[in-house]
Amino acid sequence: MDGPTDASAGSGGSELAADSGPPAIAAADVHRSYGDTVALDGVSLSVSRGEVFGLIGPNGAGKTTLVRALTGTTKATGEVQVLGSPPTDVDPQRIGLLPQSFSPPERLTARELVAYYAGLYDEARDPDAVLDDVGLADASDTWYEKLSGGQQRRVCVATALVNDPDVLFLDEPTTGIDPAGRRALWELIEGLAAGGTTVFLTSHAMDEVERLADRVGLLNGGRLVATGAPADLIAEHGGAPRLVVDTAAGSNEVGDVGYPVEATAETLVFHGVDPVDIGQVVAALDAAGVDYGALAWKQPSLEEVYLTLAGERYDRPGGKGDGLGGTGESVPAAASATGGEGTAGDAGGDSR
Amino acid sequence: MSATKRVGSEFRAAWRSFLRRRTAVFFTFFFPVLLVVIFGALVQTQPTGGGLFSEPAGYYLPGYLAVVVLFTPLSRVGSEIARHRDGNRFEKLATTPLKRWEWLLGGTLVNVAVIGLAGLLILGLSILVTGAGIPLAAETLLLVPYVALGVALFCGLGAVIGSLADSQDGVIAASNAVALPLLFLSDTFVTLDLLPEWFRPLVLASPLTYFARGVRAITYGETTPLPVDLGVAPAVGYLLVLAVLSAVLFAVGAALVPRTD
Repeated sequence: MDGPTDASAGSGGSELAADSGPPAIAAADVHRSYGDTVALDGVSLSVSRGEVFGLIGPNGAGKTTLVRALTGTTKATGEVQVLGSPPTDVDPQRIGLLPQSFSPPERLTARELVAYYAGLYDEARDPDAVLDDVGLADASDTWYEKLSGGQQRRVCVATALVNDPDVLFLDEPTTGIDPAGRRALWELIEGLAAGGTTVFLTSHAMDEVERLADRVGLLNGGRLVATGAPADLIAEHGGAPRLVVDTAAGSNEVGDVGYPVEATAETLVFHGVDPVDIGQVVAALDAAGVDYGALAWKQPSLEEVYLTLAGERYDRPGGKGDGLGGTGESVPAAASATGGEGTAGDAGGDSR
Repeated sequence: MSATKRVGSEFRAAWRSFLRRRTAVFFTFFFPVLLVVIFGALVQTQPTGGGLFSEPAGYYLPGYLAVVVLFTPLSRVGSEIARHRDGNRFEKLATTPLKRWEWLLGGTLVNVAVIGLAGLLILGLSILVTGAGIPLAAETLLLVPYVALGVALFCGLGAVIGSLADSQDGVIAASNAVALPLLFLSDTFVTLDLLPEWFRPLVLASPLTYFARGVRAITYGETTPLPVDLGVAPAVGYLLVLAVLSAVLFAVGAALVPRTD
């Protein structure tokens, strides 16, 4: 394959692996339609060996279809190679897949399920060790249907790890898993990546992708609209940091603090505030006699990037929070999109 | 060796899954009991009365066996494919070394085991309840490959139905629509002389006919000549035809087992 076009805007996450043979995953001009619905519209990407690539995008953007195209489980046009071969020709021993909405036989125990998939490979890991990795050693004798939703998903993850794959496709692996379980899985994925496993991950959890992925691709309407390292994408598309102040005061009640200020129903939002200047803003509020409650300083995150590029702004009715629609400012309405109230610790921001 | 390991893994998982569905297990074995009791004991046969069930009891033994050989694999394999598709299991399996024919073979072996047991139950009940006799001869052992090949054949057909139907409901409806005419128009319960003259050649289009006639040649001693002389005893000849049909339908079914979305 003559080097498919790499839509990446950022640097690869695995410089070491980049020179060790063909990329782990390469796709060029991949198209897939279902009737009149275009699921993939000319997607090109390249994932280096040992890299963790996170794919984000709205529901229906084509993420699962892209995973299927890359694993050869749907018939797409264009060119796809995994480890230098078309996906259907790759040694399955080297590939692991967790499909979205995967539901294995429900009346097998967790151990039996993992052992079942282990039995399909010439070489496989010990099922108990894999269950231990996903934190289910204590539930290995429980039928799948009796496990909680999060435990079920972890068993499914275990089935993708049982052959110790070189390239691992995880389609929304942490859906339904509680925070502790998610973090355990994140550490597991980080460990796999550190060991050289290439991970192709789709997720709706921006914190997950931001933490795990060396590079992120944003798919929207079947097109890969941006790729790059999370930090690069945030710098390019995330907007400026801002200070959100809970107050009923209007913007004209505060003097010039050196930052653009904007009022919503119950907040004042100061854009581009450097953390070291928070005291300056507070002093200005005090000097103006503004009565205020909580303050929250927010860094832009991958979520802002997602909302901006996917065009998924959400302003809550009534304007509570930092919904900024109609201001003419080029600032994404990020925090409100997740229902975040603009208080401490939200969306990756640092609280005061 | 690898294929054996994979089929073994598939068999173990499918076998455990089946045994743990208690309702399915119960009715798999209750169904043939019901059948023999209703037709063999309540309705009974009337050797001199004409019409349906006018032959001696032993004549209908292949029919009773045909019921489980036909219905159970057809509906079980078809439903299993629908379940696998709904749960994205084929998408997962497509990225493993397991081949489609290995998946179907694992499921078929489970069906052979289950229906083998159900078949033994039918034979025992038929002898006890209807008075049908089964010869104690070496040739009787041919019933084992007959049941195994019959099951494989209808597992293949079940795979075809399961792959073409778009839902579990569709599988059940299609299975019944296919199974019912096959059951009654395959020289099982309805003798050829009850069918119109023009229809009789069509009976040979049903694979179940070769099962029923072969089994009848073994258990009842009545031999209907093969359409083509193969130079072997009818029981062996029908078995050979059944083997070819099983291989073809199994191959077609395996080829149609879903791999992609």
